[in-house]
Amino acid sequence: MAVPISQMWTVSSYVLKNRLAGKKRYPLVLMLEPLFRCSLACAGCGKVQYPPHILKKQLTPEECFAAVEECGAPMVSIPGGEPLLHPQIVEIVNGLIARKKYIYLCTNALELKRRLPEFTPSKYLTFSVHLDGQREHHDFSVCREGGYDIAVDGIKEAVRRGFRVTTNATFFDGTDPNSVRAFFDEVMGMGVEGIILSPGYSYDKAPDQNHFMGRARVRRLFRAILSNRKPTWKFNMSPLFLEFLMGDRNYECVPWGMPTYNIFGWQKPCYLLQDGYVDSFKELLETTNWEEYGVPSGNPKCANCMVSCGYETPAVMEGFGSWKGFFAMVKGTFNKYPSQHAMKMLSEAAPHAPATLVQIEEPARALEETHA
Amino acid sequence: MTAEVLKYTLEQVEALELAPGFEHENLEGWVPAVASDDDLRQALEKAFDYRGDVTLTLKSGERIEAYIFNRHTGATLADSWVQYFTPTAPEKRKVSYAEIARLEFSGKDRAAGKHWEDWVKAYNEKKAAGEKNIALVPDALE
Repeated sequence: MAVPISQMWTVSSYVLKNRLAGKKRYPLVLMLEPLFRCSLACAGCGKVQYPPHILKKQLTPEECFAAVEECGAPMVSIPGGEPLLHPQIVEIVNGLIARKKYIYLCTNALELKRRLPEFTPSKYLTFSVHLDGQREHHDFSVCREGGYDIAVDGIKEAVRRGFRVTTNATFFDGTDPNSVRAFFDEVMGMGVEGIILSPGYSYDKAPDQNHFMGRARVRRLFRAILSNRKPTWKFNMSPLFLEFLMGDRNYECVPWGMPTYNIFGWQKPCYLLQDGYVDSFKELLETTNWEEYGVPSGNPKCANCMVSCGYETPAVMEGFGSWKGFFAMVKGTFNKYPSQHAMKMLSEAAPHAPATLVQIEEPARALEETHA
Repeated sequence: MTAEVLKYTLEQVEALELAPGFEHENLEGWVPAVASDDDLRQALEKAFDYRGDVTLTLKSGERIEAYIFNRHTGATLADSWVQYFTPTAPEKRKVSYAEIARLEFSGKDRAAGKHWEDWVKAYNEKKAAGEKNIALVPDALE
């Protein structure tokens, strides 16, 4: 696992402290959306489709700090929108560093190279660069030719300046697993600390509603991608969450683990569903009908979700919450997950151009086992 | 969300190959009839999901252009409210369902026409025409 010891220590002691205190619900990562404005217009993104007066709004640094302190999570992810479009993003980041929060600033990196001199490298700050695959796949995914090259320029400059850098990718139906594995080789070659990945999810605010994998298909894709790992690959995620994606573990969604705060308030119930807003984190915890969400609820809105904002928290809590979980996490860090079945899936996966990236085929059968 | 229909069993979910997604209605320009309490509640629920501004006409005659981002549904209209931003005021505002006389989906639907298929079609056409640096650009902020 490509996470510094100090960060692991902070998270593990936080989990243990809450566990010993008998807390039933506590946050691990605050998803802080300081604005919805973005410099990309990715088809299918549900985060940026707002009228101009909403896109012009942004959280002040003081609002950001108040949310972070109220939430208390040791890690803060700053997605958006594009955070580097916020005129006070440097002040926000510096304020969070002063509060010793581990920050993942999620960026499309179109502005990264230009803005880097304004930031100071810190163990608390990671630039998490949106990169959805190899050049053609990424450009097609973000609907902008040339986007990959700009992002890679930004990554290389950030690495050269001594910043912590990860990539983060979302994979949709039709993703070529062989291309993804080649992409892992490419990004590790750029000197990034690790890779973050997630399956796409059909949340109902996204305008594109036809191209999402169900859970069986997600497990099959990630088993093909994440088995037979190369020694150079590092993942900035819980190994147990990766096992969940591969179908080796089962977790129930923990939506309060990564709560979201933005210009509308505290979002119910999670980062991707928008079922309303409340004014305080306490109110979010106490008034959300949590039993209406997650797979066991039967809620169709949650049916295909295997996204980290719901499922990485229980993986982290298991990893740092018991010796059994801890040893599983250590084992997962060094395990290459050899699998002949996955090799066969890779050999059968047909390479294709990005224009066919998300072509959906009617399923021939209800469930194909992810294990041979 | 309340009273969500329980549509899937655990086994069905785990075996899901493709997620069906959600249908988006074409609501731009729509003026729903709000004669009954239920009509008004349903219309405001759609307004909550709508990715554009709406115009609320209050029983006082005041007209409010608003982006509705939140709602609370209580037992009566007086107990229920929507929360919104207007294009001109910086603060969040609330208005009770009981005060609303008319609703119009007056603003542009910002989610319309942004399907993946639209992008694939446009990309292939531009590529075939020999264009370079093909891209979608964000909507203007004026």
